[in-house]
Amino acid sequence: MNTGSRLERLEKGLRDIGLEPVKAPGVLRVDAQPESLVPAARLAVEHGYDHLASVEGIDWPSEGVIEVIYHAESYDEDLRGTLLEIRVKVPRDEPRLPSLIEVWPNALFLERETWDLMGVVFEGHPELRRLLMPPDWDGPPPLRKDFKVKTEGVFVNVE
Amino acid sequence: MSSSVMEARLLEKEGDEEVYEVFIGPQHPASGHMRLIVRLEGDVIVGVDPDIGWVHRTMEKLAESKEALKAIPLLERMTIIDSQNVTIGYVRALEKLLGVEPPPRARYLRTLLSEINRIASHLYGMGLAGIFVNHSTMFMWCFGDREVWIQLAEELTGARLTHSYSVPGGVRRDLPQGFKEKALKAIRYMEKRLDEYHRIFFDNPQVRARYEGVGVLKPHEARRLGVVGPNLRASGVRYDARLLGDYGVYDELEFEIPVREEGDAMSRLLLRGDEIRQSMNIIRQVLDKIPEGPILAEKYLRLIPPKLREPALKEGRIKFPGIFANLKLPKGEAVARAEMGHGEIFYHVTSDGSKKPYRVRVVTPSFRNVILFRYLPPGHRFMDLPAIYGSLDYFPPEADR
Amino acid sequence: MGLVSSLVRLVLSPQFFGPIVFPGLVTVLAVLLSIIWVERKIAARVQMRVGPLYILRPLGGAIQMLADGLRFFFQEFIVPETVDRVPFLLAPVVAMSFAMLPFAFVPLAPNFKPYTVPYSMPAFLGLNTVIPLTVLAMAWGSNNKFSIQGGIREAYMTIAYEAVLFISAYSMALLYHTLDFAEMVEAQKVPGILLNPISALVFFIAMIMSAGKLPFDIVEGEQEIVAGPFTEYSGIAFGLTMGIGYVQLYGFTLAFTLMYLSGWEPLVAPLYSIYPALGGILLFVKAYLLLVFIVFLRAVYGRYRLDQALRIGWRTLFPLAIVSVFLSIALGVIGVV
Repeated sequence: MNTGSRLERLEKGLRDIGLEPVKAPGVLRVDAQPESLVPAARLAVEHGYDHLASVEGIDWPSEGVIEVIYHAESYDEDLRGTLLEIRVKVPRDEPRLPSLIEVWPNALFLERETWDLMGVVFEGHPELRRLLMPPDWDGPPPLRKDFKVKTEGVFVNVE
Repeated sequence: MSSSVMEARLLEKEGDEEVYEVFIGPQHPASGHMRLIVRLEGDVIVGVDPDIGWVHRTMEKLAESKEALKAIPLLERMTIIDSQNVTIGYVRALEKLLGVEPPPRARYLRTLLSEINRIASHLYGMGLAGIFVNHSTMFMWCFGDREVWIQLAEELTGARLTHSYSVPGGVRRDLPQGFKEKALKAIRYMEKRLDEYHRIFFDNPQVRARYEGVGVLKPHEARRLGVVGPNLRASGVRYDARLLGDYGVYDELEFEIPVREEGDAMSRLLLRGDEIRQSMNIIRQVLDKIPEGPILAEKYLRLIPPKLREPALKEGRIKFPGIFANLKLPKGEAVARAEMGHGEIFYHVTSDGSKKPYRVRVVTPSFRNVILFRYLPPGHRFMDLPAIYGSLDYFPPEADR
Repeated sequence: MGLVSSLVRLVLSPQFFGPIVFPGLVTVLAVLLSIIWVERKIAARVQMRVGPLYILRPLGGAIQMLADGLRFFFQEFIVPETVDRVPFLLAPVVAMSFAMLPFAFVPLAPNFKPYTVPYSMPAFLGLNTVIPLTVLAMAWGSNNKFSIQGGIREAYMTIAYEAVLFISAYSMALLYHTLDFAEMVEAQKVPGILLNPISALVFFIAMIMSAGKLPFDIVEGEQEIVAGPFTEYSGIAFGLTMGIGYVQLYGFTLAFTLMYLSGWEPLVAPLYSIYPALGGILLFVKAYLLLVFIVFLRAVYGRYRLDQALRIGWRTLFPLAIVSVFLSIALGVIGVV
C-alpha cells in the first residue's frame, strides 16, 4: 500500500472506488457521480489534499446539466504542483449535491457562492444564504447561460 | 483539530438576548466595502459574520460575454492595486489554451512588473494595518512610498494602476531607457524606509501590544482553511504560487520565500516587510539578467502588418492589430495559479472553441481569506477586530469580484 | 464716563478676567483654534504631507480651524428621531460648561486668583470629573449601538484614570502642605517634576487618558465604533464634543504647569507691574508647549486596547501613584520643601 508517491497512491485509491483519474498537465482529473463525490473527497483529504481552491459550476444547457467542478489543492511540496479536479454532473432543473463542508471546511463560502450564482443546492450546507447577490434577489442564478447580460451598446452623439 | 471542531468554530451561532449585535459597515470608517455583523458578549466577540458582496461586479459573467483578450482589462479591476498579478493567471490560462509561450524577455518583464506591483500592494496593506490601530503616520508613509512604485510601474507600462501589461504571448511594452537606474534608486530608498517603518511602527510598543498574540492561526488550521498569501506563510506554511514555476522566471532567480512561525497578526505584518525585501532582491536580479530579444511570441508578431512591425520592435511598443482581439480559443480548458500580493489567485478557463471563453472561474485570494473573519475573531476583544482585519490585508473588491 | 471706567474695572477684575479672558473663555477659543492647526501641521510634517494650507496661505493655513468652526455653526444639526432629546441636546452644553468652569480656579500670578478658595486644586480636578458623566448622558441619549459602546468605554476609562489622577495630584499637595495652586507655585523652590518625578509621570499619563488623546483615544475609537458617544452628533454639537477633549487637556496642562513646572515662575516682573494677569504669560507658554508635545504623540502612537489601558491604569499607574504619595511624605518629613 505504502509504495509510490502520495499522488500515485491517491490515484490507486480513486480507482479502487471505481473512478477513472486522468492526468493532465498540473491537474489530476476525476469524473465522479454525485454518490461517489463524498468518498472521493474523503480519499483526497487522506492523501494530503486538505483544502479546496475552488468550487465552480459550468452550465451546459445543450446537455441539460450543470457541471460542478471542485479543485482541491495542497500546500505540501510533493502535491502542490498538481491540482485534484473532481467533476460532477447534475441535472440542470434540479441540481443537488451533498455538501463537502465536513470534508473540506473551507467549502463554506465556496459552496455558498456556487449556490448563490449558479443555483446548485448543496445538501447539508448549514447556511445557504445570499452571499454576493442582494438578499432579496429572486431572478435566475446569474451565472447560468439563460441569464443574459443586457448591454447598452456604444452611444455616439455625432452622426 | 478534527474538521468537526473546526466547522463548529466556523458556523454562525444563534444569539440570545445576552448577545449585542453590532453592524460594522458598509458605511463605517473602517469596514471597507463590506459589512461585518459582530456579535458581542460584553466586550468579547462571540461571532462575526462577514457579509460581502457589496461591490460584486459579476466579473465571471462579464468575462464570458467578451472576447478573451478584452477580459484582461476587466479582470484587472478586481484588484486595481495589484493589476499585473491579478491578470497574469488569466493570461497564463489563455496561453495554455492557445498553446503559446512568451519569449524570455517578456517573462522577465512580467516578473519585474509583478514584483513592483507586489511591493505596492504590500505597502497598501501595511498602511491600512497602521490606520486600523489609528496609527496615522504608518498609513501616510506607506501610501506615500507606494507612489514610488506606482511611478515606476507607470514608467514601464504607461499606466499608474491599470497596466494591462501582460497579453497572451508576451507583454505590451519594452523596458524604457534609464529604467534600471530609477528602479535601483527606488530600491535604495525603500530599504532605508523599511528601517524607518521598524522604528516608528513595528518596534513601537503600542503597536506590538495591539498586534502581538492577536488572531493566532496555527499551521494546520491555515492549511485546512485554504488560507493564502502572507497570512498563510506567517503561520509557518511554506507555500507560494511562485514556487510552482508556472509563470515568470522565478525558477531562474534566487530568492527566499519568507516564512514566520508565530501566526499572529504581528507576524503577518512583519512578513509583508520581509516580502518587500525579497521582491526588491528579485527586481535587482531581473534587471541584471534580463536578456535581449522580442517581447511578443513569434506567432503573434507575424500578425502585425510588416509596416507596423518594424517600428513596433524598434520602439518596444506594440500596437495590436484588430485581429488580435479576435483570437479563437481552441476547445479545452486550462488552469493557472499565480501569486498576488494578497495571495494565490486561481483561474480556470473553459472554452468551447469560440472567441469568447465559455466560462472563466476566478477565485481571488481575498475570497479565500474571507473565512478568517469567521475563524479568527471569536474570543477576542471587540477592539481586536480592526487589528485582525488590518493584519489580513483583505481587499473587498477583490473578494466580491 | 463712569460706565466705561466701571466696565474696564469689571473686565480687569480677577473674577472676570480669569474665567472669561485669560486663561478662560477667550484664550480657550484661541488655544482651540491654534492647537488643532498645530496638531495637524505637526502630524503632516512627520507624515510627509502639507497639512492645512489653503485658508490664509501666507501663514500656512493658520485659520483653518476658524473656517471649520464656522462650517460647524452653519451646518445642519440633525436630531435623530430615536434619541432621548433632553440629554442628547443638553449634555454637550453641560460638558462644555464644565470643561470651562475649572479655569475659575487657575491662579495666574501672585495674588491674582479669579476665585479665592483654599482648595483650588481639588476644585479644579473635581469639576473635570463631571465631564465623563455628561459623556455617558450623550451616549445613553443617542440611543445608538456605537454610542452605547463608547459610553461604556468612557465609564471604564474613567475608572482607569480618575483615581490615579487624584492620588498623584494629592501627593503633590502632601509635598507642598497645601491644596491651593498659588501656594504650590510659591512652595516650589525647585520645580515639582524634579522633586517627585513619579507623580509627574502618573499625572501626565492620566491627563492624556482623561482628555482621550492618542494613544488613549479609546472612547472615540473610530475604527470600531465610528465616533463613540458622539456618533449621532452633527453640526455645532459635534464641534462642541470635539472641542471638549482639547479644552480639558488645556486645563490639565495649566494644572500640570502649576504643580510640576513651577507655574509662572520666574515671574516676568515688567509685565506683572503693568497688569498682574500678564505675569501669567510664562505659565501659558509652558502649558502650551506641553500641549504641543501631547498632540505630537498622535504622530507616534496608535491606540491602545481598552483592557490594555485599564491594565496600564491599575497595574502600572496606580502602584506608581501610591509610591509617589510615600515619596512626597518622605520628602515632606525630611523637609525638602
